[in-house]
Amino acid sequence: MSEDRIILDNVSRFYGEVLGVNRVTLSIPPGITSLVGPNGSGKTTLMNLITGLVRPSRGRISVLGIDPSQPQRLFRFVGYSTQFDAFPKGLTGSQFIYSYLRLSGYAAAECRRLTTRAIEQVGLTEAANRKVAAYSKGMRQRIRLAQAIAHDPRVLILDEPLNGLDPLVRSKTITLFKQYAEQGRHVVVSSHVLHEVDMISDQVVLMSGGYIVAEGRIRGVRSEIQEERPMQFLIQCRQPSLLASKAFEQDHVVEARLLPESEGVLVKTRDADRFCRILNHLALAGIDIEGVIPADDNVHSVYEYLIGGEEPTQ
Amino acid sequence: MIWLWCTQILAIVRLEMKKTFFSRRGLWVYLLAFAPLLLFMCHSVSVAHRRDQLRQIAAEHPVSREDLSAIQVGMTRDQVAQKLGEPYTRLDRQHRDGQSEASEHSHWKYTDGETDVHLFFRDDSLTGIHRNELDTLPRVLQIFAGVFQSYYLRLAVFFGCVGIFINLFRGEMLDKSLHFYLLTPVRREVLLVGKYAAGLLATVVIFTSSTALQWLVLLWQFDHATVAEFFAATGWGQFSSYVAVTALACVGYGSVFLAVGLLFRNPIIPTAAVLLWEGVNPFLPAALKKISMIHYLQSLCPVSPAPGRDVPGFIHLLIAPVQPATRSMAVVSILVLTLVVLVVAARLSQRMEINYSTE
Repeated sequence: MSEDRIILDNVSRFYGEVLGVNRVTLSIPPGITSLVGPNGSGKTTLMNLITGLVRPSRGRISVLGIDPSQPQRLFRFVGYSTQFDAFPKGLTGSQFIYSYLRLSGYAAAECRRLTTRAIEQVGLTEAANRKVAAYSKGMRQRIRLAQAIAHDPRVLILDEPLNGLDPLVRSKTITLFKQYAEQGRHVVVSSHVLHEVDMISDQVVLMSGGYIVAEGRIRGVRSEIQEERPMQFLIQCRQPSLLASKAFEQDHVVEARLLPESEGVLVKTRDADRFCRILNHLALAGIDIEGVIPADDNVHSVYEYLIGGEEPTQ
Repeated sequence: MIWLWCTQILAIVRLEMKKTFFSRRGLWVYLLAFAPLLLFMCHSVSVAHRRDQLRQIAAEHPVSREDLSAIQVGMTRDQVAQKLGEPYTRLDRQHRDGQSEASEHSHWKYTDGETDVHLFFRDDSLTGIHRNELDTLPRVLQIFAGVFQSYYLRLAVFFGCVGIFINLFRGEMLDKSLHFYLLTPVRREVLLVGKYAAGLLATVVIFTSSTALQWLVLLWQFDHATVAEFFAATGWGQFSSYVAVTALACVGYGSVFLAVGLLFRNPIIPTAAVLLWEGVNPFLPAALKKISMIHYLQSLCPVSPAPGRDVPGFIHLLIAPVQPATRSMAVVSILVLTLVVLVVAARLSQRMEINYSTE
């Protein structure tokens, strides 16, 4: 199992007296995993720990069975695009990718081929022979991504990879992540932009103050907290008053509110599964239901419920 | 595996070349390395020019070296003129001190083309002889030995290695670009060796080429026959020794400052400590002397600078080891010291972390 997962076992990291992350236990399966949290929540520290750029003060880490303290083995199958926006001086985009591929021990011809492919994948072919120092922020972000994917890694760690990208490139980049995930690879992405996380993640890890607040598939996390935070559904129908009264008869429904201008009914329930079954019965009984929209079944709502005030960007 | 490491080391050297040779931050290293070359060049040009002048004068006012040597204090002007003929420059003047009678002072100059001789007469008696000899080969070699040991090894190569080797890790920490190396499948020890090799290549090329050029520039003022004769005798040996000592200095100091750059956030304090240690080396007991680079480097220098009358005593202490180590002992000691420092640095590099925010 550990050969297929990124495992952090009770990992803590302190910078002197400052907490980086504390008692983190995670098992990350293949697919896209998003680390979500405000600035200073420990996302970057966690990524640096996974890639061995910093060492844990306590605990144990294994990336597909390899200890991150062995870079010579780890970076054969791991690519990491950091948030550090600095580059070795004087290199063009393609020289930058090529040089670090050479460092990995590939033959010159193979390095050229991998460089060309990586630069194509991030859409920087035209700028490949320009100095990285002359790149825009978005281009620098892309060339970092190219460097991370150039050796075709099985594990891709990306710290805020969509920052500074224009919408078109952003969409292409997300498609690339999805392709990686579909091939059974690990893509670990940190982000504080929640709607992006919603779009791309198979699972999320919510972080705050160096701690893991919740982890798992977003719906799973949401249902875990439905006792304290009932789930909300927006139901569009022709007879909202009738639907509201029928729904409120159920003991798990805590609120059924009619929305103005016939937008529908907002229902809060502590048991989403039972409520969905009831809706089926009501539809069969003749209530014309036009649409059912989960109103807070997303990362942002979960994040707000769990972490509250330290709000990342929506 | 060894082949992979060699490939990786070569790739690191290639990546570092631009930074070590052409970084704006390292321009002062070239200044340190080539400052003596500039000075020696000026000296050689001026001596050669003066030699041409004196030879031209000697051709117009021929005087033999033997005749010049025969002149002694107390001779009269007539005796001198009879022996040497008319001087090429002559200055006569009357001088009165207080109430005493006026005396006649004369300043005559002669040359045989190599030595400029100044004769000072009071009334009719020769009272002083001053001989300005142009550089001779042994004297030039002494000058070079003095500059090489007191400035070049102790300051130029030392600070050159500080500038290049410390920046190999520390510079990239400050630039926030070191992590790119740590995100590749390269063992930390291999990274360290690669960076050391890159620094060594740069310092050896810069400083040995300066050493060689300094030597050639100093010899340039002599005629071809003198230089050829010197090289046929001991010249090549001395030349290669100086180049080798320079390279060994880069090997030794390079390892120390690579480790300093790796281990210390503020390398100024450890650098000052090493400088102090190397500086006080001549005053240390024999056992402690052996734990320094400069002791072994000086032991390998082919010429010990003689204590010239212009050289202060403490400078002479700095340029001449009292009990030099044998040649083989010196080389082995420098290499062992280097190896120990590199092994310790390699072990510590395993614990290296990226934490730019604290830099």
